[in-house]
Amino acid sequence: MINWFKRRSQSSNSYQTNEEWISALKPPPEDAAIQQLRNHLVKGLKASLYKYVDRELDNFVEDIAQDSVLKILDKYDTFRGESKFTTWAMKVAVREGYSELRKKRYNDISLEQYSSYNPDEKEAVEIEHEQAGPDQLTHESMVVQKVMKIMEEELTKKQQKVLQLLMIDQIPMTVVSEMMDSNRNAIYKLVHDARLKLKNRMEVEGMDPEEILNEM
Amino acid sequence: MKLNKDVLKKILSKLPQTHEEEIGCDDCFEELHTFAEMELEGKSPEKAMPLIKEHLDNCGECRQEYQALLEAIKVLNDK
Repeated sequence: MINWFKRRSQSSNSYQTNEEWISALKPPPEDAAIQQLRNHLVKGLKASLYKYVDRELDNFVEDIAQDSVLKILDKYDTFRGESKFTTWAMKVAVREGYSELRKKRYNDISLEQYSSYNPDEKEAVEIEHEQAGPDQLTHESMVVQKVMKIMEEELTKKQQKVLQLLMIDQIPMTVVSEMMDSNRNAIYKLVHDARLKLKNRMEVEGMDPEEILNEM
Repeated sequence: MKLNKDVLKKILSKLPQTHEEEIGCDDCFEELHTFAEMELEGKSPEKAMPLIKEHLDNCGECRQEYQALLEAIKVLNDK
């Protein structure tokens, strides 16, 4: 109890070292430490988000800082001390901020909009050939069709759907994760697996991705 | 599924740097603060942590957050 009063009485101090931060954030956390951490996150977030949020920057940043402080209090004991505590805390806030920003930007898009997608559907392959001559056009069409065939044969329906959402509809991975009731790490792994399958199959087929790119 | 030339290029351009063993976003996030401080101290984190560098090259969202983190800590260090 005496220690707690001592810690509370340090409220006018500024926290500098990792030890000071960790000690001040242990339950019950010091109000002054929370305030200083919050100010710190607000300043950093403003510097990194101003390009993406205009009119409501202050409110947005305040909300993100508030949510981030709660997350940090929840897991500060996982901080291993390899950097400044404030850098680690800022990392948590930046991820929080960008995740929210991406969701905010795409909140009009609902999964229903994309549920009509059917990977079995053989839709016409679209290629832009503004300046292409007939030979080029035929060659490109053949390459695209071959890659399409490989994708259909090698990738699962879920992988095809995720690639469609990410690369064709250009929806951020954070948003796709939510749509698929998954998380970003799992979606990245799913796409990595898809890339690997395509790469290996193209190797078997004697198709060199770099060579094809150079010809396009 | 509609595959146009730009998307095909994007997919193909990712294949040469695709490897069996790649770390995911969670593992990258675990080390991002250390990577960022090393970068700001000019300590070539890409040599010390090549898998993190590779992930940042492959993952647009982690890369965007990494760049934002660098900007934020630069401002915070400029007291």
